[in-house]
Amino acid sequence: MKFLAMIAVVLTGGLLIFHTGAFPDFGDANSPANTYLSPYYLENGQADTHAPNVVTSVLADYRGYDTMFETTVVFAAGLACFFLLRRKQKPGDTPRMYRHLPTGVTLHIKEGGTLPAEDSAVFRRLDSEFVPHQIIIKNTCRIVIPFIQIFALYVVAHGHYSPGGGFQGGVLLAASFILYAISHDLRRAIRRFPEKVAALFGSMGVLIYAGTGVLCLLFGANFLNYEALAPLLGVSPVMARSHGILIVEIGVAFAVMAVIIWIYYNLSSAGKHDEGL
Amino acid sequence: MTQHFPALLIIIPLLSALLVSAMGWIDRRWCFPLAVASLAGALAVSIGLAAHVMAAGPIVYKMAGWRPPIGIVYVIDYLNAPVLVVILAVALLNLISAKVWIEKDFEDKMGAYLGLYLLFLSGMVGIVATGDAFNLYVLLEIGSLTGYALIGLGKERAPLSSLNYLFMGTIGASFYLLGIGYIYIATGTLNMADIALLVPQLEGSGTLFLALIICMAGLFVKMALFPLHGWLPNAYSNAPSASAGLIAPLTTKVMIYAMVRVGLTVFTPAFTFARPLLSEAIVWLAIAAIVSGSLLALMQRRLSRMFTYIIVAEVGYMVGGFWLGNKAGVTGATLHIINDAAMTLTLFMAVSAIIWKLGSDKFEDLQGLFGKMPFTMIGFVIAALAVIGIPPTCGFFSKWYLITGGINAGQWGFVAALLFSSLVNAVLFFRIFEIAFFEPFAEGHGHHDHGPVFNEAPVTMVAPLLIAALSLIALGLYTGDIVTKLIQLALPAGIA
Repeated sequence: MKFLAMIAVVLTGGLLIFHTGAFPDFGDANSPANTYLSPYYLENGQADTHAPNVVTSVLADYRGYDTMFETTVVFAAGLACFFLLRRKQKPGDTPRMYRHLPTGVTLHIKEGGTLPAEDSAVFRRLDSEFVPHQIIIKNTCRIVIPFIQIFALYVVAHGHYSPGGGFQGGVLLAASFILYAISHDLRRAIRRFPEKVAALFGSMGVLIYAGTGVLCLLFGANFLNYEALAPLLGVSPVMARSHGILIVEIGVAFAVMAVIIWIYYNLSSAGKHDEGL
Repeated sequence: MTQHFPALLIIIPLLSALLVSAMGWIDRRWCFPLAVASLAGALAVSIGLAAHVMAAGPIVYKMAGWRPPIGIVYVIDYLNAPVLVVILAVALLNLISAKVWIEKDFEDKMGAYLGLYLLFLSGMVGIVATGDAFNLYVLLEIGSLTGYALIGLGKERAPLSSLNYLFMGTIGASFYLLGIGYIYIATGTLNMADIALLVPQLEGSGTLFLALIICMAGLFVKMALFPLHGWLPNAYSNAPSASAGLIAPLTTKVMIYAMVRVGLTVFTPAFTFARPLLSEAIVWLAIAAIVSGSLLALMQRRLSRMFTYIIVAEVGYMVGGFWLGNKAGVTGATLHIINDAAMTLTLFMAVSAIIWKLGSDKFEDLQGLFGKMPFTMIGFVIAALAVIGIPPTCGFFSKWYLITGGINAGQWGFVAALLFSSLVNAVLFFRIFEIAFFEPFAEGHGHHDHGPVFNEAPVTMVAPLLIAALSLIALGLYTGDIVTKLIQLALPAGIA
């Protein structure tokens, strides 16, 4: 069976590689891909959508409907991870480590043992893979995280002009949070950005995208035709397209950020949301 | 508002998926009614669309207002209007029937479950409604990703089955995407109608031919055509009952729809059926699927597993019928998409009711079932007759078209396989009738047998089941209208 599979793989791969010879040359200006539709986007992209970055205008406007579903794919992934992995557990189901601060003694409390109060000033919870003296890591991250987040906002807002946009900005925002969770601990990150908020932000992000489309519908234009928003935004139809792109990019950023954080919570703690990486 | 119906068709399930999954965190009681209401709304929209298409012809809806090759369009025509109605009806009936299961299995994750359910559905609806070859892939991703999750939290080895399905499904989807890439290299466009216009000029293009093969291979994996069916039986039989009734009727059928759509309106019949050797080979693959699916179904000792192998055989029916390449064959394949979705739904709803009451679907536990669950068994019997292909149920008529297609094409192997599979189906189902009706029932204590005690599934399960069963007869009685007013108008001129 394995041998047959190997033959199938080699044959398929060989066929595909062999056929690349019949393709147009790399960068061939006369190939169908470069002569049929692309010239329209390149020549009219800025006039149609007021976005100098033609990738953005194709992604968020000409083919914005695809992008809405790409955002939905991200959201569906988050929902699927939550659905499959999340396990609710009571405190006391697993062993825990505490440090008694006045004496510096570390306590190992087994399953079912009595736990100190959640907000105790004397006992501090430790992860079982606790590494002492991480002060450099903690402080470096504390300094770096705000800059990552400001850069992320720049990437989201500047998608019209330079590489970037909602997906990239959202990933950066999520990365800053995951850095916080890694450098401190998962519980503290979850206290700052609870699971419920992540889940609601995820659906809200997609809702901003789809809702913008529905708003266009209510103004009488086709779904996602941002031109319809011109009277609402008080600008010309072309500028309305540009603003529409920004609005949906913000929705994408919300969804991507929240979902990646949500997935991280579930994956890193095997769905328990207790001790993470 | 009517002109926006094609967009509403997908916005309604999408928005409600977002709301339902958010509601899961706020107030769980709203989730289920919201999901049912949105599906009912979408079903109403799809019926309105079908009526509009029958009265006034196909509708093209420009997303974001851009004209076709520039932007993405939705096209509702004679081919997909009936399929859309069936998909939404299947999802609605199954959701109502699965209410008790969802409340039991996923009590604290109801928002997430229903959110995934509705997202899966928007993926399926989108695949069927879209007129853009790449958009089809994006929606395929949604439908697959949510499908893996819906299956993953099932019984026994469901996570492993779901993982296998994920590997195979990803390979299939990647092949389809690769095929789209080849099409784009050859034509420079992604719009289906636009590709179809360019194909005749590219008659001898090797790239386009390879694109056809790769696309079809990808879709064959996704629809579980023998011998690529390995993932299907485990994934469907281990899935939670609530998901099995949604995914089993829809996924394979929608993939077959995609095959018909890609074959007829992207590559055009002249190109798709231009190589007799290729068509012949695929028909023989379908024959193998029918024969092996039927034989493997005979070997099963559990209802749900038996049904999964029947699905493998039914996929062979439709693939074979389509690749015969003549009018009767393609009509039969398209008609069978609708009929088989309804039949599979009825079977899986019946088995979900049986498992709800008996806790098992093993053959030996089915004794006395006609006495215990008479209404469920009425639905089951009608579905069984439809699968065997007995008039006036719908299964007879699509099989009739398929066999006619086989005879017209002189493809006697396919005709023989269809007859063989009908016989095997008769054996399969009458064996179950025998166990459930005639075998001595040994639950009573002592030697005195009181006979089975009436113990029917809840009405939310039985009512949708009976509606689905009646629809099998209705579909059969209205076959003439469906064929002459919809399907035959959908076939392009190139098919003789």
